Amino acid sequence: MTLHAPECAASVQPGQFVHLRVATGSDIILRRPFSIHRAYGERVEILYQILGTGTLLMAEKPVGDESMDLVGPLGHGWRAPEGIAHALFVTGGLGAAPLGMLAEQLAAHGVAVSVAMGAPTKERLVARELFENVARQVLVATDDGSDGEHGFVTVPAARLLAEERFDVVYTCGPEPMQRAIAALAADAGVPCQISLERLMACGIGACLSCVVLTVDGLKRACVDGPVFDAAEVTWKS
Amino acid sequence: MSGSIDMRVNLAGLELRNPVTVASGTFASGREFADFVDLSRLGAIVTKGVSLGPWAGNASPRIAETASGMLNSIGLQNPGVEAFVVKDLAWLAENAATTPVIVNVSGHSVEEYAAVIERLEDESGVAGYEVNISCPNVDAGGMAFGSECAPAAAVTRACRAVTKRPMLVKLSPNVTDIVSIAQSVEAEGADGLSLVNTLLGMAIDAETRKPLLARVVGGLSGPAIKPVALRMVWQVSNAVAIPIIGMGGVMNATDAVEFMLAGATAVAVGTANFVDPTVTMRVVDGLVEYCHRHGVTDVRDLIGGLEA
Repeated sequence: MTLHAPECAASVQPGQFVHLRVATGSDIILRRPFSIHRAYGERVEILYQILGTGTLLMAEKPVGDESMDLVGPLGHGWRAPEGIAHALFVTGGLGAAPLGMLAEQLAAHGVAVSVAMGAPTKERLVARELFENVARQVLVATDDGSDGEHGFVTVPAARLLAEERFDVVYTCGPEPMQRAIAALAADAGVPCQISLERLMACGIGACLSCVVLTVDGLKRACVDGPVFDAAEVTWKS
Repeated sequence: MSGSIDMRVNLAGLELRNPVTVASGTFASGREFADFVDLSRLGAIVTKGVSLGPWAGNASPRIAETASGMLNSIGLQNPGVEAFVVKDLAWLAENAATTPVIVNVSGHSVEEYAAVIERLEDESGVAGYEVNISCPNVDAGGMAFGSECAPAAAVTRACRAVTKRPMLVKLSPNVTDIVSIAQSVEAEGADGLSLVNTLLGMAIDAETRKPLLARVVGGLSGPAIKPVALRMVWQVSNAVAIPIIGMGGVMNATDAVEFMLAGATAVAVGTANFVDPTVTMRVVDGLVEYCHRHGVTDVRDLIGGLEA
């Protein structure tokens, strides 16, 4: 979905999110957080999947609809350390969404980008074209084997980490996948950043619904994240 | 915009520039909202609950959306009173000095409530207290104290003994007779009441057969609870002499007017802050507009103005 949001588009950093109010009545009251996939001109683009009533309402909105209210950009996005030459992106399903803008920006700055992307099926591989346009290589894995390698994305990701030298790993996807990638990156001695998904009420740091357990105690995904250093996160056992 | 309308109210000895404040736990200590709200236009700021030491809160998921409302089981997560003084009170003194700050106080025991207040007594940035005996999301303290008259009275008495500052007590709707509990805390020296905290509820995912909250049960807030909250404000206001902050599903100025007509002196905006971080400003403006439209020159004339 593409949203006309000039101020947001002008100031967004890769990895930040928008908080959307999809209905104006009081039945569906909470906003929904969506990571920003890309921004251009006066527009920001989000990728979403119909999972419940809120996203169903979004899907039914006609082009040009002005009924949605947007707060953003919010949150703390990806960090791109000075001097990185080669970055590995590992995505799972819609986890590709918050990485689109970063891939474009890094590539534009001459950073080599390699991508390992996974999804349950071929149909749920998102943003593949964007990555293929900017990346040096894109490896694909699907759980059902309908595209690329048959199996989890951790397999091609592990192979890349073993064969090539990376300065940073960026990953987003289901939490078990992120945890596995964080472990692979740690084993390879490569810094890893992850973008965590949490239920959120306020999106601005007040409600404490989106907390993430870290080595420094509880942090808020909305303002301290959604991007965290993987080494900072304490995974649930 | 207020023109000739007097929007001031006196809440338990606190002079508020207008009757609009925020519900504890939905506004942190104001800092997060400073980009969206002119804090100096609020009647008062009610902080998130503060306890003596740090509280970690509950496991996630901590929220769930329900029909016209939300459930939360945050569990009073806070860094404790010392960190509150250093970080939040200092910030408020610098950034919202003209707005009275009411500190919401939590505890595991009667002594802990009083100890939090004692620690804050020497701090100049505190206008008053809201003693929370109504949180449904903690095992010890919270609602356990607010569910019956005797423990409610005991907490109130202990807190009253350590402060002369205005002190409100926040009551739970999860009781058989809220009026008798209100009267028992009034008798122990409460200067005002906050009505109401969240209603105990739960939500289930039929597909997974699991609860939506890690704690299974949580506190229901939002428009869904407004009729219950209005009824309780009306019942209690007819039975006590102390003022009431009314809250429970206030989404706009019309809701605020309804709470005042039911007997509230001030109105707190809660869940709506999550839906629209600028909502408090709209409620203030809308209240002025309502007064203009109805020829009300003193907003206090709305208090208890229900024509039944």
